[in-house]
Amino acid sequence: MNSIIITRAGTHSTIQDFGRFQYQHLGVSPSGAMDQRIITELQKIIPNHQNQFLEFAYVGPSIKVKEGSVKICVGGNCNMSIQKNNNSQLECQPYKSINLFEGDELIIHNTIDSVYGYIAFEHGLGLEPCLNSYSTDTKAGIGSINRPLNDEDIFHISKDVSSWDLISIPKPDLEKVTNFKVYPGPQLQYFSDNTLQSFISSVFTITNQSDRMGIRLKGESLISSKSHDILSEGILPGSIQVPSDGQPIVLMRDIPCTGGYPKIAILSEVDISRISQLPPETKITFDLQTIY
Amino acid sequence: MYFKGINSYGDRGLVLDFGNETSKSISQEVNETFLNISNLNLQSLNIIPSFNKIVVIFENSKIRDQNKDKIIMKMKDTNSQTNKKVTKTWKIPACYNEDFALDIKIIQKIHQITKEEVINLHSSVRYYTYYIGFMPGFPYLGDVPSQLITPRLATPRVKIPARSIGIAKNHTCIYPKVSPGGWNIIGQIPFDIFDLQSSYPSLFLPGDRVKFYSVSLSEFEKIRKYNFSLNELIKEYSS
Repeated sequence: MNSIIITRAGTHSTIQDFGRFQYQHLGVSPSGAMDQRIITELQKIIPNHQNQFLEFAYVGPSIKVKEGSVKICVGGNCNMSIQKNNNSQLECQPYKSINLFEGDELIIHNTIDSVYGYIAFEHGLGLEPCLNSYSTDTKAGIGSINRPLNDEDIFHISKDVSSWDLISIPKPDLEKVTNFKVYPGPQLQYFSDNTLQSFISSVFTITNQSDRMGIRLKGESLISSKSHDILSEGILPGSIQVPSDGQPIVLMRDIPCTGGYPKIAILSEVDISRISQLPPETKITFDLQTIY
Repeated sequence: MYFKGINSYGDRGLVLDFGNETSKSISQEVNETFLNISNLNLQSLNIIPSFNKIVVIFENSKIRDQNKDKIIMKMKDTNSQTNKKVTKTWKIPACYNEDFALDIKIIQKIHQITKEEVINLHSSVRYYTYYIGFMPGFPYLGDVPSQLITPRLATPRVKIPARSIGIAKNHTCIYPKVSPGGWNIIGQIPFDIFDLQSSYPSLFLPGDRVKFYSVSLSEFEKIRKYNFSLNELIKEYSS
């Protein structure tokens, strides 16, 4: 038996996978990793990840091997180091597999110029799926672990590491995008041509009121010429909804399942991952695609 | 036929539009169509019915476009009325005891009726499940008798107890778990309606009929102690 203990939980660490689907009509949000590009890359290094990825934001977790040994890989742009059980310190890099032995501690200090990072574990973390997924929606209390990770959480990994060979991939080119091509939203016609012009020609700032549910933007007020109150309807991540204060919100992975605000536009799937990595105060712009 | 058309929702979604209004007959068509589309076993990620729309979500635009025609063909197939038997009729015990009926006085005051009248009116109607939303397993039921139509609370409550029955506008609901919310709370039911251990976790499904019947506090506590599983609840309280 191998086990690890969370010695510091970090700002907001949760278990995520590619999402929980087929349950949104029962009020269950899709959730899943905010930046799905990174866990896609990590699959190449730890193919047997069992879909149990640890997602962290800003200050990352510290993880100590309590018993046995584990093979892991970190993805994202972050500062980290390993405190060996003989008190020596080791440098380590994202996208390179890391072998950790009893007493070793991986310390993820923080993400650099980005928000989210991930850890893949060979053979997963010994978790049972919840509604066919390992993802966590902390607000709805759904997940293999239905809350953010805490200090002292322990995971048991029954299978031993299959090979200690070090595997790495070139650091993926996850370019930082601040201009987003968006598609027309279902309520595009709720906004006048002038307002649409402001939407595509002005700069919006990401605020610190942003989380796994949504990214709140600050900028030119986008007031609907019709109404900011629509009959609730199904929504999908990436939708840009505009409540009555005119300040748009980009809905992210832990979306409410139905929503009653008009949606001016929607991001493409890959842009949800891209925008999730932009820290507060980042300036962004939108470019409306008409042919799709 | 209330179906008005099918539109793209970004690069990977579709919106099936059933008009701008909300009524039980539109909702019935929405929910029948929802079941028909679900039975197509499309490569979709989610199919989400609401009052007057169905949103279908795919992984990408290619899969969306491959599946769009199948949905349109099903929409034109007017003979697919096979789903009526799938929906259930529920008889749900409700305790309107003052410990649970946090806002019943507001409704009494607005409509100038007694507590007994509120209870009799609320339990007199066989409600229709418009859709499930807001939080896992939360049913939007309606319509409540006109003498019970009440606006949302001016200041939403921070913590509504799990299993509470609420009224807002012409709808009534059950909160599956503790939640903030603005509905007027008039009672509580004695069992959970959302079970993560079940592969089909929600007790109610869109299109189900729900009738409440009033139980005393002692009956409520007796049922509460049984700790029914979702399957036992289906056997015991639905037909």
